[in-house]
Amino acid sequence: MLPLLSIILATLLVGTVGTFLSGTKARWVALATSAVFLAEVGLLFMSYPGWPGYSGSLVPGFSDTETYTWISLAWMHVNYSVGVDGISLIFILLTAILQIATVVYSWGETQRPAGYFGLVLLTCLGCFGVFVALDILLFFLFWEAVLVPMFFLIGYWGGPNRRYAAIKFFVYTHVASIVMLVGLLALVFYSGATSFDFTAVYAAAHGMAPVVQTFLFLALFFGFAVKFPIVPFHTWLPDAHVEAPTGGSVLLAGLLLKLGGYGLIRWAVEVLPNGFHSAQPLLFVIAFLTIIWGSVLSLAQRDIKRMVAYSSINHMGIVLLAIALDSSLGLLAAVLLMFAHGVVSALLFMASGSVHHQYGTRDIASLGGITPSAPGLATMIMAGSLASLGLPALIGFPAEFTAFLATWDALGYWVLIPLAVLVVTAGFYLWMMQRMLFGLPKGVPEHAHDIPWYEGAGMGLLVALTILFGILPSLLVNVIVNSPIKGWPGT
Amino acid sequence: MTLSSFGAPFLPEIVLLAAVLLIFLLDVLKVRRIELTGGIAVAATLFALGLIVADLGFAPLAFLSSIPSSQIDQLPAVGAAPLYAFTSLGLVFQAIFLLAAFFVCLASTSRPSDERGSPIFYGLLLLATIGMLLVAIASDLIFLLLAIEVTSIASYLLVAYTRKDVRGLEAAMKFFVIGALSTVLSFFGASLLFGAYGTTNLYLIREAGAAVGYPILVLLGYGFLIAGLAFKVTLVPFHAWAVDVYDGAPDDVSAFLAGGTKKIGVFAFFLVFLGPVLVVGTVGQSGYGLFGGSVALGPSFQIALGAIAVLTMTVGNVLALLQKEMKRMLAYSSISQAGYMLIGIAIGSAPALGGATLQVFAHVLMKTGAFLVVGAVAALGVGPLIEDWRGLGLRRPLLGTSFALMLLSLAGVPLTIGFVSKFVLFSAAVQAQGWFIWLAVAGLLNSALSVFYYARVLKVMFFDAPPVPSSPATTGVMGAAGPPVLPVGGLGYGRAATIAVIAAIIVAFGIYPQPVLGAIQAAAYHFVTVGA
Repeated sequence: MLPLLSIILATLLVGTVGTFLSGTKARWVALATSAVFLAEVGLLFMSYPGWPGYSGSLVPGFSDTETYTWISLAWMHVNYSVGVDGISLIFILLTAILQIATVVYSWGETQRPAGYFGLVLLTCLGCFGVFVALDILLFFLFWEAVLVPMFFLIGYWGGPNRRYAAIKFFVYTHVASIVMLVGLLALVFYSGATSFDFTAVYAAAHGMAPVVQTFLFLALFFGFAVKFPIVPFHTWLPDAHVEAPTGGSVLLAGLLLKLGGYGLIRWAVEVLPNGFHSAQPLLFVIAFLTIIWGSVLSLAQRDIKRMVAYSSINHMGIVLLAIALDSSLGLLAAVLLMFAHGVVSALLFMASGSVHHQYGTRDIASLGGITPSAPGLATMIMAGSLASLGLPALIGFPAEFTAFLATWDALGYWVLIPLAVLVVTAGFYLWMMQRMLFGLPKGVPEHAHDIPWYEGAGMGLLVALTILFGILPSLLVNVIVNSPIKGWPGT
Repeated sequence: MTLSSFGAPFLPEIVLLAAVLLIFLLDVLKVRRIELTGGIAVAATLFALGLIVADLGFAPLAFLSSIPSSQIDQLPAVGAAPLYAFTSLGLVFQAIFLLAAFFVCLASTSRPSDERGSPIFYGLLLLATIGMLLVAIASDLIFLLLAIEVTSIASYLLVAYTRKDVRGLEAAMKFFVIGALSTVLSFFGASLLFGAYGTTNLYLIREAGAAVGYPILVLLGYGFLIAGLAFKVTLVPFHAWAVDVYDGAPDDVSAFLAGGTKKIGVFAFFLVFLGPVLVVGTVGQSGYGLFGGSVALGPSFQIALGAIAVLTMTVGNVLALLQKEMKRMLAYSSISQAGYMLIGIAIGSAPALGGATLQVFAHVLMKTGAFLVVGAVAALGVGPLIEDWRGLGLRRPLLGTSFALMLLSLAGVPLTIGFVSKFVLFSAAVQAQGWFIWLAVAGLLNSALSVFYYARVLKVMFFDAPPVPSSPATTGVMGAAGPPVLPVGGLGYGRAATIAVIAAIIVAFGIYPQPVLGAIQAAAYHFVTVGA
């Protein structure tokens, strides 16, 4: 069989290097790379059970696996080991979509385009690696590889406060990475696995004492949760998201936050079930805090980009809640939510970036009635907002519905807390739209015109997907449930 | 037919000694061309390196093997007190030492060929190397300390060999006084051990400890030994001399001191604390040298060494962060790297020993290479400050890229050998379980900290504009605007080749470390469990 994952990695690597070297033509190289990447991801899907066109037999577990020995010592075995299951496939799809959408949206980037597009591609390369790595060292290498390009994207192309934001982002996430690495190493050696391979660690970890599992789970959880981000380690997020260039914000919200959720599901929840169970109450508390805090803070924002950033915290809190439920439905909801949030928050960040380009401000109160002069932009903002508040037939609805269903199953009336928060958030999105999009024009220049075609194309792609997967969430669900997670048909 | 059938286990040392005598003989005959003396030194170190690599079991060179494999990794007979013993880990260290000497010799051939000091430089450097080789085979405390002295005396002279440079003379003086103090401490420690156990043989000392126990005299003796050796390895708080010496010494000598000679102290630590214990029953994977064999000595000394390791890393990194001069920054980074090596010694397990050895190997490449680049850049007329390196990476892309790779490796960035060595070392710390996991955390936090000062150099080299002449008058009648152009060439083939090769090795083993890592780990296992 074709080593498809390695081929994709090679594609991205060659494309990234090519982009860095191609000067003013960089956007073309980046676009070509993204298109090839998307096509290859399509091939990947077609060979996975659950996809409509799939004709092979249903083989649960990881597919497209490749394993080559990297370091082999008496006490330590490290492999180049990659593979996908339904969960990672969903995130890979998200990576491919956001990469091409970001490249298209940023078509007009004039400030060192080779560096900008190269770093965008490098970030996506790192995320792709995280989603396919089935070896702890490989996973960690890709995890760290995401950090560096994002640091430069914020630090060089960002807003006025970019240096502070970049360093804060780096310090927070790097310290978390270190804790996570020590946790992962301890996972290997305390379980007696000696191999860094996922399957070996998975098999060995179940035998560990519950106390050890709890400590390891907390270490891993801390590492992943700062990326999430959870309250009280969330303060890097608004700074980083707001100061980053639009493309950077899109990748931050769309992909980087998902690394935390994916890592938690793959490397902590399933591997350390006993540790997970004993930490469950803590996770619930943190999840509710994050949901409430994120939404309260987003209510208080005047800057639309900052508002979207805080609503990301709120959404990721729901993801954490869904994971913490420890039910197969909850996990399904978490993956769906992350996919939905990846698409929708990317859309909203692009929209707020366009608002800033068009009107020179992102202040909600000082703008109004932009619809007549910029109907395209208004449509995008509206689509993103409606999807974010969970309107049926858009992608947010199936995800949130599943999440609340799972919460009801597990916790009963506690579901009212996230539901109430959702109502508040919905109200705020509607109010924002009412003030910014409708009414008499305010803060709109005399000869205002609509957004450039490439910004519209980038957002249009995301809107189309929002509708497609909103109507047909089964396309995603059928793939996800073939993952080797207990309680799903795939196992 | 191999060389071992002639029975010449000391062939590498003999080859180097012959080269030293030849170089001094030619000096007397007033033949001082650097091509000749340098060529002799390069050939001798390369040949000796080949011999060692053959002894380590590298099949393509098997015909060069000079030590019968039956003599490697053998415990002495009960009651015997050999002066020297061949261990595969010792051979690995010999290879590392010879590699450092070879690189410095090769790079130094690029100096002006009429330089009168070249025979002295090469002769002393090879003499120091002989001492280093002897350290790696010692099995007796007096033999070990004398071998260290051979290296030390040769390196005091090396620092001052140009005789004209006041800074070099001052550095040599400081080096000599501190070195003498460290020798006194070591010998005093050895005499206390002799007083307690009646032997200076390392096997017998460890055996006596396991059998008799550890009276206060012995603990004092080990304490003085640690202090004496800590000077050599530049551990905090015995580190202050190193920066002035590396800074004041000629660049190539700094490369040899920071990259090569300080590692003898690391191996001396291995020998004193981590070698196999002769008594049957304390040998085996559970018993690592003195730490595994004794309850009395183990934990307290391990905690002390662990604390020194954390202190050394942190102090070295924080002070490196504050430096403005390139050589001083590299010197402090060298101190912090010694702290990483000490982590492996404090843990004392075979994996940790292997990790520390790999760290030594990596550091030889990175630090020797970095100081050689400093020498090359100084030869191009660039000042000593980090600021003076502005735009260098763009003006000399290959030199700049090589230096960048060395710094990235020092910072422990993935796909360099510096990452692999730290990864193995910290994995070993976690693998040892218990409180050692905090050594891994401290090491990781320090690596994160060190990224900042290495990244600053990269920023200066690649992102800052090259310096513009301060006043138009200095540019002369041409008055050309724009950055001054560096002299073309000027590096010389030897130095350019050395720097390129080092950079290539750093990346090659960073991507696929298995060959060197496998050999080192096997050697480390033999070292602590020999005869089991």
